[in-house]
Amino acid sequence: MHKQTISIGGMTCAACAARIQKAVSRLDGTANVVVNFATEKATFEYDPEMIRISTIKEAIKDTGYVILEAKSPDEDKARKDAEIRSLWRKFIVAAVFSTPLLYIAMVPMIKFVQLPFPNGLDPMTYPLIYALAEIILVIPCVIVGRRFYTVGFKALVKRSPNMDSLIAVGTSAALLYSVWNTIQIAAGDFELVESLYFETAGVIIALILLGKALEAKAKGRTSDAIKKLMGLQPKTAIVIDPSGEEREIAIDDVEVKDILLVKPGTRIPVDGTVVTGRSAVDESMLTGESIPIDKGEGDRVYAATINANGALHIRAEGIGSETALAHIIRLVEDAQNSRAPIAALADKVSGVFVPIVIAFAAVIGMVWYLATRDTERALTIFVSILVIACPCALGLATPTAIMVGTGKGAEHGILIKGGEALETAHKIKTIVFDKTGTITEGKPRVTDVVGNGMGEAELLQLAASVEKWSEHPLGLAVVSAAGAVQEATDFVSVTGMGVQAAVGGKLVRVGRAAYANADKSAGDRFASEGKTPLYISVDGVFSGVIAVADTMKQSSRSAVEKAHRLGMSVAMITGDNMKTASFIAKQAGIDRVLAEVLPQDKAAEIKKLQAAGEIVAMVGDGINDAPALAQANVGIAIGSGTDVAMESADIVLMRSDLNDVTTAIQLSKATIRNIKQNLFWAFGYNVVGIPVAAGLLYLFGGPLLNPIFAAAAMSLSSVSVLANALRLKSFKPKEVS
Amino acid sequence: MKKVFTFLMAATLATTLVACRGLDVVGQASVDSFDVILDAASNRLSYDDMNGGWSIEAPDGSVRFIWSSDYSRSPLHDLMLEFDAQPFIDAGLDVSLLPDYYSYYEGKLMVGVKLGDDRISEDVETTAIESYEYIVERYRSTVGYHAALDHFNLNIGNGNLFEWAKDLEVNGSDGSVQDKDIVFVLDPTPLIAAGVDPDAVTGWLFARVTVEIDGSPVEVDKFLKPFDLR
Repeated sequence: MHKQTISIGGMTCAACAARIQKAVSRLDGTANVVVNFATEKATFEYDPEMIRISTIKEAIKDTGYVILEAKSPDEDKARKDAEIRSLWRKFIVAAVFSTPLLYIAMVPMIKFVQLPFPNGLDPMTYPLIYALAEIILVIPCVIVGRRFYTVGFKALVKRSPNMDSLIAVGTSAALLYSVWNTIQIAAGDFELVESLYFETAGVIIALILLGKALEAKAKGRTSDAIKKLMGLQPKTAIVIDPSGEEREIAIDDVEVKDILLVKPGTRIPVDGTVVTGRSAVDESMLTGESIPIDKGEGDRVYAATINANGALHIRAEGIGSETALAHIIRLVEDAQNSRAPIAALADKVSGVFVPIVIAFAAVIGMVWYLATRDTERALTIFVSILVIACPCALGLATPTAIMVGTGKGAEHGILIKGGEALETAHKIKTIVFDKTGTITEGKPRVTDVVGNGMGEAELLQLAASVEKWSEHPLGLAVVSAAGAVQEATDFVSVTGMGVQAAVGGKLVRVGRAAYANADKSAGDRFASEGKTPLYISVDGVFSGVIAVADTMKQSSRSAVEKAHRLGMSVAMITGDNMKTASFIAKQAGIDRVLAEVLPQDKAAEIKKLQAAGEIVAMVGDGINDAPALAQANVGIAIGSGTDVAMESADIVLMRSDLNDVTTAIQLSKATIRNIKQNLFWAFGYNVVGIPVAAGLLYLFGGPLLNPIFAAAAMSLSSVSVLANALRLKSFKPKEVS
Repeated sequence: MKKVFTFLMAATLATTLVACRGLDVVGQASVDSFDVILDAASNRLSYDDMNGGWSIEAPDGSVRFIWSSDYSRSPLHDLMLEFDAQPFIDAGLDVSLLPDYYSYYEGKLMVGVKLGDDRISEDVETTAIESYEYIVERYRSTVGYHAALDHFNLNIGNGNLFEWAKDLEVNGSDGSVQDKDIVFVLDPTPLIAAGVDPDAVTGWLFARVTVEIDGSPVEVDKFLKPFDLR
C-alpha cells in the first residue's frame, strides 16, 4: 500500500470531510482514509495494483469538491491568502448591502427610539417601493454568497447535505417567502409589508461569510509552526563549479554531490558534509539547542541551520524533500493531518447531524404551523433551527487544537507524530527510560585518573598515545580526554587483555590488571561505581589507573524528578548487570530497574507493565529500542538517536533533552483539555441553541429566536472554538514543583 | 446549479421590473378604496362652499372631514376636521388656549393643514374623488397605510388623521383585524393643554394607539370617533 495526501478545496464543515472520507473509503484498494477539515487534506493508503490516484481524485470531485494540485509552500500560502482575501471581499460586499437592509427593516419596528428614516421608503406609505428596495439590497448579498446555494443544493440533491445546505435551505425559504409576499403587496395586500424576511437572508449570508473569513484566518494561524519551518529553507545556494567559479543558483537546481559555499552568517542550503573550513553552526531551529556546534571537515551539516563565523565548503547530500528539515516538516504535517480518537465522536455526529437537523426543522416548523396557523412564526422557527445547527464548531473542535498543539510541540523541539500520541500522552502513568544513550550520554568518558608514582597528566598522555592506535570505544575516551599525544611505535593489540606500544622509548601497556602487572584491588572502587578501570604499566611497572564510564546526562536527574512530581513512576531498562544499572539508576533518582534485559526482550518487559494496567511511555534512542518504542503506549525517541528509533516512536525529542519528556506530557494534557473545552462549547451550543430556535422558550412566555441572532451565534461559536484552540499558542511548560 | 441560480435572479429582476409599472400601490389603492367610502357615505357627502371643498359627515353629525377641491380657494385648511366643541368645553376646554392651527367658530372646532395654493382645475368643478386623487398625485406623503387595522389614512397635520377601511366589503365581516369603516382621530395634547380632562369628554374614545411616525411605530394617546357606514 502507498500512502498519499491530497489537498482538497471547498470543504465548509466536518460534514463535508465525512462525506469525502466515505466516498474514498468506498473505493476498492483504499484504506485508512482520513479527511481533515482543518488542514483541508485527505490522507489515505492505496494499492496501485487495484486503483489509480486519478480514480480517487475523480471520486472526490464527484462529491462536489476541488482537488488542489500540490504546489510549493509559497504558492500554497498565496492560494490560501487569496482565499482569505476573497472571503473578506465577499463579506465586505455583503456587509455594505446588508447593513442598510437591516436598518430599513428594523427601524420601523423599533419603538423606544426615533431613528432617521427616508420618507420615500416608509413601509406604510410606499410598501412596494420598500419591498423592492429590500430586494435590490439583498441581491448583492445573495450573489456574493452564491456558493452556499450552488454547493448546498448540490449536496442536498446528492443526499449528503452539509453546512452550506442548511444555509441554502434556510435563506432560500426566507427569500422565496418574501418574494411571494412582495408579489402579494403589488397585488394589494399591503399588510404583508410586515412579513418580509429579506434582511434575514442578507444578514445571515453576511454573518456566515464573516465567520468563514475569521475561520480561514484563524485556521491559517493554527499552522504557523509549519510555515515558520518552511520559511527557514533558503531560496538560493552558491555552487562552486569544477573550474572554481562561484555561481548563485536556485535551491531547486542544487544536485547531490554539488560543492556549495556557505558564507558566514548565512543559512546552510541543503544537508551535506563539510569538505573544507571550520565554523560554529547554530542548529537551534532543528534541535532547540541554543549553543552553536563546532563543525569541521567531515562533519554533517543540515539545511536551514545558520553558519555563524567561518566559510564552509560542503558537499550536497540531502536535497529537496530529503533534507532533515523537510523530514521534520513532513512529520509535523502528518501529525496535523492525523486524527485523534477523541475526534471520532465529533466526526460521527457531524456526519449525520445535517440531515437530521433538516428533518427536525421541517417537522418542528410544520408542528408550529399546524398548532398556530401562523406561517411567519413557523418559517422563523424553521430558518432559525437550520441556521443555528450548523456543525462547523463541532468539526473544528479537535483538529484545530491538534494543529496548534503539534505546532507548539515543534517549536519546543518536540515532534509529535500523530493526534493519537498527543491524546495518549496525557494518560501516561509509567515512563521507562532506556539506559545507554538515553539516561547516559552513550559515549564512554574518562571519569578518574589515579597515578602510581606518576603524574595524572603524564599517565593520561602515555595511555592516550598507545590508545590512539586502538579502535576500542574505551580507548577513544582516553584519547579524547588527553588531547595531545606522543608518537607511538610497535603497536600491539592483545585480544581480551589490552594494547601496548613504545612511547618515547618506553613500553607502555594499557588494559586489564594482569596485563599491566597491577593489583586488581587498585581499580575495585571504580568497578563498584559502574566504571571500567584501565590499568597502565610503563616498562613493566604498574603506573596508575584510568576509570572510564558512560556518564549520566545532565538532564537525566531533573527529568526523572519532574516525572515523579507529575505523579508518574519511572523505570530504567538496560542490558547491563544489576550492579552497574542500580548505580546509574540511583544517581538519576530512578526507583525501578529492569536490568539484564536482552534487546529482543525489551518489548516484552513493556508488555508486562501494560498487562499490569499501566499506560507506558518508552524513551529510547537505539535500534534495539525500536520494538519497545512501538510496543509502548507512547514511544519517545531521542533526536540524536538512530533513524529506526525515530521512525518507531510517536514522539521525537529533537533537543535530546530528557526534560522535554515531561514538556510533551504537559503539552498533551493542555491540548486534551483544550479539545474537551472546544467539544463542550460546540456540543453545548447546539444542545442549547436548537431547543431555543425550536421555540422552547417561546412556549413558556420567552422570546422567539430571530434567525439573524441564530446566524450571529453560529458564526460566534466557530470563532470562539478557534480562538480557544489558538490559546494553546501561549503554552509554556510549567515548572513542576 | 448555476442555471437555477441565474433563473432565480432573473425571476426576481422580472418581478421588480413588472412591479415598477406601478410602484405606488398604496396611493393607487387608496383612491379606489376612498371611492368606495364615498359611495357608501353618499348621503353624508356634500360640497362645503364656505371651506371650498368636499366633506364627509359622521353618521351622528358631530364631526366632518373636509378636503379642498381648489387649494387657491380654501381659506384656512386644505385638509381638516370640523367637530362639535361642546363635549370638550364641558370637559374643561378653554378655546383661547388652543394653538393657532385650531379655529373656533359658532360652536365648532376646526383643525387641519394647508397643503398649497394651487388651482386644481380652471374650468370644471372637480368631483369628490378627483379632489382626493389630486391629493394622492401632489401631496402623496399625506396618504398612509395602517397595517395593523388594514386602514388607509390622511394625515391632517399635528397628529390628527382621517382613516378609512381599505376594503369596506370585508371590513370586520370575516373576523379580520379591521376596525370601523371610518375613524376621525384627534391628537389630545393641545386639547389637554387647553384644560380638557380627556376622561370627561363624551362622544369621543380616549385611547392609546400605535401610529407610524417617520416609519417607526409609536404608541400615543388619541381621541377617536369610529363609525361603520353600513
